[in-house]
Amino acid sequence: MELQLQFGYGMMDHSRVLIRDWGGGTVILSPRDLNPLQLQQFADVIVSTPNGEVLLDPQFYLPYADHERLTSHKFWPAEYSTDGFWSGAEIRELIRKLVVLNTALRCKAMLLPGLYAERVDDDWLARQKLVIDEAGALTDFPLFVTVALGADAVRSDDQIDDILAAAETWEVAGVYLVCEHPRGEYLVTDPTWLANVLDLVAGLRLKNLDVVVGYCNHQMLALACVGANTIASGTWMNVRSFPPDKFRSQYDEEIKQRAIWYYCPQALSEYKVPFLDIALKQGVLSRMVPPESMGSAYADLFFSGVQPTSVGWSEQTAFRHYLQCLWFQTRSSRQSTFEDTADAHERALDVAEDLLATLQSVGVRGQLRDFRESIDVNRAALSVIRSTRGPVLRRKWSNL
Amino acid sequence: MVLALRCGERAPGAVGSLLITPQWLSQQMPDLSGLTPLGEGGQKWVFAGRHTQDGDVVIKLIKPSGDIERTRREILAVRQISSPRVPAVLDVGMLHSPWGDIIWLRERRVSGESVREIIRARGPLPKEGVLCLGLCMLEALVDAARVRIVHRDVKPENIMRSNDGSYWLLDFGIARHLDLSSLTPSAALGGPGTLGYAPPEQFRNKKRDLDGRADLFALAVTLVECISGRHPYRDGARDAPEVVRRIEGSPLVVPRIAWDPERRFSELVSSMGQRRVDCRPQDARQALEWMRELHSVFGL
Repeated sequence: MELQLQFGYGMMDHSRVLIRDWGGGTVILSPRDLNPLQLQQFADVIVSTPNGEVLLDPQFYLPYADHERLTSHKFWPAEYSTDGFWSGAEIRELIRKLVVLNTALRCKAMLLPGLYAERVDDDWLARQKLVIDEAGALTDFPLFVTVALGADAVRSDDQIDDILAAAETWEVAGVYLVCEHPRGEYLVTDPTWLANVLDLVAGLRLKNLDVVVGYCNHQMLALACVGANTIASGTWMNVRSFPPDKFRSQYDEEIKQRAIWYYCPQALSEYKVPFLDIALKQGVLSRMVPPESMGSAYADLFFSGVQPTSVGWSEQTAFRHYLQCLWFQTRSSRQSTFEDTADAHERALDVAEDLLATLQSVGVRGQLRDFRESIDVNRAALSVIRSTRGPVLRRKWSNL
Repeated sequence: MVLALRCGERAPGAVGSLLITPQWLSQQMPDLSGLTPLGEGGQKWVFAGRHTQDGDVVIKLIKPSGDIERTRREILAVRQISSPRVPAVLDVGMLHSPWGDIIWLRERRVSGESVREIIRARGPLPKEGVLCLGLCMLEALVDAARVRIVHRDVKPENIMRSNDGSYWLLDFGIARHLDLSSLTPSAALGGPGTLGYAPPEQFRNKKRDLDGRADLFALAVTLVECISGRHPYRDGARDAPEVVRRIEGSPLVVPRIAWDPERRFSELVSSMGQRRVDCRPQDARQALEWMRELHSVFGL
């Protein structure tokens, strides 16, 4: 499984540095966070980096919302009304403009505009089909249909089944999937939600569709167990989980002061730096060192013997460390068989659980980013997949 | 062939005063001899006999009150399938009677027992029987899928074990041709099929979801019944709604099989018997490939 960068606020430098350090990679561009000129210039920088590639997320989730940055782009329709837009000419025009833009940006594939679905119904499915058909007639780009789902839609077996049934007729290379977390949670504590995301990805992959899952955090490493091709993640929390409200609000409203977190990859948890001081006091800090194989030197100073809060740990360092570790974890998440992949994920959960118990017992807590509440969620979701799809995934793994 | 019906003839089964007897039938169809009744259902009478040219045959007579369009589709289905696992329809015709038209079909007869009869008489099937049944039925379903036919009534009553040990799929009476419009009103609460074998998308009449994977589900249930001698959903159920609740609420439980310690066969059955369509093998062909591999594993 690969990690792509989900572009968000302040990610230009991170993207440049990480794509260079990784020897290549893909950035999913965000019109919401880049004005038209920035979009082009930044895409040029990434594409000119060795093995650097870009995709454009048109972010057409809530087109009736007047997000100022989105509406500044030429492709964005001047007016949008549900009745008129989907009748033919206007959707065709949108896609035509996106083809032009994707070409100019030198995207490697085209992510199609897709409406956010609070509920998957016949209208939504019909519009998906319309977008695919129109795009197929206009371009030779490999096409990825965007499936943007509300939390309740994800939790519904019937709606997931409706998507999978419809997907059998989608003439696309793949699906760009973004799923709202229930209750705005960063780490999801609803096993049904996660089980259904896994199931949806498994179903799509078994139909020979590639799957890119956007707006992920490390909890989505579980997607390796169902053959997901790619997860995308970024810096701030609003690119590590998909909140539809992000596409309603005004741009300035979102720039808020955030705490700086240290990601402990083996614990699958993040910690505010003062808790690393506690870990040092309690003699467990050494257990929070990232494995050398992760290749992240960004946090080395924490483990040099000095008090962690005295180290200059910046947002930039924190983000790069997180993405570096996640990049390694993602790339090593898929094994040669389904069983080995699922077993490896379960072992990672066991290791995290053991470490979290130790850390918690001495007062080192990740608070809202502590994975403790999600360990059994991932286990339950994986167990469901083993029961429902396991035998088929086992047989078809080498084809996925 | 147009044949006259003689008034006043007496026979078992009746539509009004119309009674069909072997004697009467042999008079209508002089090419047949040795006619014996095999049974009567809501829609038809069935006789076994010997045809001067075709040998051992089954004659099905559709009652005048029966559904003509369904019958036409059954004939169409079976003729299109052309499978070595499905008895061939040799000829069709109509008898005109004062009580209405009686469509008849003459099919190749498979001599043997139904799987239902076998289970009743001798309990669960042995390993070779289960594996052979599974393979033969999947071959039949692949042949049906090739011409876009869904059987919709796979169950032990409709599977015949012939004297040579192979298995045949019978009775396409409620088969659905996916390219033809449905005969079941969309508003109908339940689609055609037998409770306990039909998957949720069939008994909930979700036409959009119905394809050959419905038959895989029914076959999975049938295989579990063959393995254990018990129906996994119907046995012990109070009533029809409880059967429905069991199917929709619990996964198909495949019992431990002594000859399958690594549960390889069980995995195939479990996969075919998934409640959700998308979780089953993609089609009968994939299930058949899987089954063939298992035959090899089990040394058959």
